[in-house]
Amino acid sequence: METLTALAGGFATALTPTHLLFAFAGCFLGTAVGVLPGIGPALTVALLLPITFQVPATSAFILFAGVYYGAMYGGSTTSILLNTPGESATIITALEGFQMARRGRAGPALATAAIGSFVAGTIATIALTFFAPIVVELALRLGPAEYFSLMVIAFVAVSSVLGASVLRGLTTLFLGLLLGVVGVDLQTGQPRFTFGMIEFLDGIEVTIVAVGLFAVAETLHLATRRKHGEDEILPLSGSLWLSREDWARSWKPWLRGACIGFPFGAIPAGGSELPTFLSYFMEKKLSRQPQQFGQGAIEGVAGPEAANNAAAAGVLMPMLTLGLPTSVTAAIMLSAFQSYGIQPGPLLFVNQAELIWGLIASLYVGNLMLLVLNLPLIGLWVRILKIPQPQLYAGILVFATIGAYGVSNSVIDLLVMYAVGVVGMLMKRYDFPVAPAVIGMILGPLAEQAFRQALTISQGDWTTFVTRPISAVFLTIALALAGGPAVWRAVVMTRRASA
Amino acid sequence: MSTSRRSLLAAAALLPAALTLRPAVAQQRFESIFMFIPAGPGGGWDGTGRAIEQAARAAGLVGSFQFENVGGAGGMVGLPRFVNQRRNQPNALMVGGSVMVGAGITNKSPITIANVQPIARLTEEAGVIVVPATSDIRTWQDLEAKLKANPGGVPVGGGSAGGTDHILLGLILKALGRNPREASYVAFAGGGPANAAILGGQVSAGISGYSEFAEQIKAGRMRALATSGERRIEGTDIPTLKELGLDVTAANWRGVFAGPGITAAQRQALIDLMVAVHATPQWKETLRARVWADAFLTGDAFAEYLKRDITATESVLKDLGLA
Amino acid sequence: MRSRPRAGEVAVAGCLVALAVLSIWQTAVIPVSPIYARVGPTLFPWIASAGLLALSLVLLAQALRGGFAGVGAQLPVDWGSLAWVAAGLAANVAFIGTLGFVFAATAMFVCVARGFGSTRPGRDALIGAVVALTSYLGFEKLLGVNIGAGILEGII
Repeated sequence: METLTALAGGFATALTPTHLLFAFAGCFLGTAVGVLPGIGPALTVALLLPITFQVPATSAFILFAGVYYGAMYGGSTTSILLNTPGESATIITALEGFQMARRGRAGPALATAAIGSFVAGTIATIALTFFAPIVVELALRLGPAEYFSLMVIAFVAVSSVLGASVLRGLTTLFLGLLLGVVGVDLQTGQPRFTFGMIEFLDGIEVTIVAVGLFAVAETLHLATRRKHGEDEILPLSGSLWLSREDWARSWKPWLRGACIGFPFGAIPAGGSELPTFLSYFMEKKLSRQPQQFGQGAIEGVAGPEAANNAAAAGVLMPMLTLGLPTSVTAAIMLSAFQSYGIQPGPLLFVNQAELIWGLIASLYVGNLMLLVLNLPLIGLWVRILKIPQPQLYAGILVFATIGAYGVSNSVIDLLVMYAVGVVGMLMKRYDFPVAPAVIGMILGPLAEQAFRQALTISQGDWTTFVTRPISAVFLTIALALAGGPAVWRAVVMTRRASA
Repeated sequence: MSTSRRSLLAAAALLPAALTLRPAVAQQRFESIFMFIPAGPGGGWDGTGRAIEQAARAAGLVGSFQFENVGGAGGMVGLPRFVNQRRNQPNALMVGGSVMVGAGITNKSPITIANVQPIARLTEEAGVIVVPATSDIRTWQDLEAKLKANPGGVPVGGGSAGGTDHILLGLILKALGRNPREASYVAFAGGGPANAAILGGQVSAGISGYSEFAEQIKAGRMRALATSGERRIEGTDIPTLKELGLDVTAANWRGVFAGPGITAAQRQALIDLMVAVHATPQWKETLRARVWADAFLTGDAFAEYLKRDITATESVLKDLGLA
Repeated sequence: MRSRPRAGEVAVAGCLVALAVLSIWQTAVIPVSPIYARVGPTLFPWIASAGLLALSLVLLAQALRGGFAGVGAQLPVDWGSLAWVAAGLAANVAFIGTLGFVFAATAMFVCVARGFGSTRPGRDALIGAVVALTSYLGFEKLLGVNIGAGILEGII
């Protein structure tokens, strides 16, 4: 009841004309800037940070909420249309999204992403409103040992759907793991795989590898087989809107994505990538036509996009309830609080109730605004695909360059991206799946750090992973996932045999 | 990624036209200043740079600011870039501090903080040692006894290995007569995960700058046992390690530097600018709001201090096995 | 099954083996400080390198015995197209630091478009220049994000 009253107060703040205007401006700017290559939500918020000096705190944060959600929406557009993910949370979206676009189904891909984002964003915002303190307290119970066990689940999930080419899938997974090693080791400060170069000390950015593996590799690969003319992008066909079948195939992934994404956002080491992987692999496992995955399955866009947006809302929970930033974007938003002299922390809800509830209410408003703003834009975006092939691919490479070089101004980054592109071209040619490389690169460092932190805490006692109850539960789930299908088949067989 | 790696390698500059406070042009000392931040937006160095901008513009000391952020590896990615690109540029400033001193030593980087010209040390932030509110460790003496008995049995969380937090733990163990190498130091990527691990009781204790923990301490979720400053932090009653009988002081200082190759007169002009910035009411307000201790020191005195700091850091890192 | 090994697959598997050896060497040179003897910075790289070595050896064996399992024959490479696209990437890397983003991106645009069969380099140059210049102005002037100034950008 108390929460509802406070929320009503929040809506009273958020629904004033000025604040609606700020929310709209935020959504618009966030979408616009989020679409640009190399500029994800974190940088978008950072770029717009100076505005905080101009307007009152409440307006500024309503603006930010719009920018944050808007950038999450905008990020998927380039993944789907140009195979160029702007940030790590939309990498998975590119897998199926771009395939849909190539088959003339860019419209439904963008639509399911937008609606899925809205549905998941709204569910997550409702959960944030009512359960934030509880979820955060639960999340705090998870320590490095539990994170590691979670990563084990993720690894099992990934390898269980590698499909026909398990050997080659594992190979690219290990390549990704090795790429993730590059840089200064967090636990000991020792440089690893840096070949003595300062540029590699802080590691290789995952979006650079992803764009190299997806956009650059795809372009090179198509160039090698141009004469054979079988890779033409099909013209847009059918409706831009979701068909009845699309709806039927999308709604469950949206809901599942929201359920996976939200809790991960709250976990201090969760991030938004892990839930997108898990959602993707879950949809592939549950799908009746798993062979469609990789060929443009709509579930593979709907689920991860929902997970990604739910995680974005989840990230706000530890930030608002405890002042803990669990993502770069949250860290930047916290510094914006500070520039208003507001210290984010456990007392925020008490000391700044009006601001916080106004912010939460504006999340609902912003979500709705984004849907209204984005659906009509789909018709505009898909025209990008009408550009003739030579200019389209030239343009994609220019965009990829901006993404890699634009922010860092590092020729090394550019070289890494192109080198990865050549490797990716060979992978495509010899039928190695590329996604496991990116997944290994993201999960590897997380798993390794958690593993070593856990062992430092337990003073080298390896049983810590099974003696801590939550960790043991996670490991059991992983074991069930790994062995379950085999056991199930065995059981069915024996039954049949005895029958 | 949510790790401290280049999740954000960002050149975030201002929308310059957006905020024009029109002050008296008479006092303007620089038409424009190029401010280089060797870290991503949102952190302490970025905050320092932006605070300088706010103060300087409000007082009309500088016409406009241009920012560039190049983060990573404790500033060691940005530093060489600043040295190469801003050589001889009289209006270029770079934010830096203790972290950069340590990073240069551990990474054995060919270009270090010694390659830029010290202009002014601005702020200092003492470290604070905390335990979760639910911990059975009530006082510093409790923790001290545990650390003395078996340092390996007390996992302590903080920022990345070899950073200021890790160094402080090393200094404490050394003062207690233990070997810093026995420490169970758990490095976390940034304030969020470290805070979460302490609040969740995953580690026995935590070390970081006071501002990282201030709100948790005020809210009663963490218990502050000691700080590492020379004096107590204003507005708190946390004893210093010195008061507690341990001869350890350590602080994370931040300052600004100029590129190599500028003349003595150009350097003096930048020093004068920082003196003027330091005198503005806006700067004082920033210090108060962010609980940054004023540690103003300019020119040659700062250069002297820097030299001593480098030597001291080197010796601690050797003890820790990181140099 | 096929009996004659295909050169391409053998080369790819060979490169993977070489890569695994390279990473084993890099793992061996990671400095290890004595304090972190429990789980040092090398355990994970060892596992990853050894894993890659094992997998790539299996792939090599498959390639030598006639080809990767389940991979059909590859289409012949269109070297002309590939060379143009590669030249575009190389031009971009070579020029972006010195001549600036707009020039480098335009050069890349023309080369890549040529690689994909465009026959009007003049028009492509114009389109590329407009795209690059718009991006440059948008990023640099509106957002203040530095995307690589050069000679041309200095004039603007």
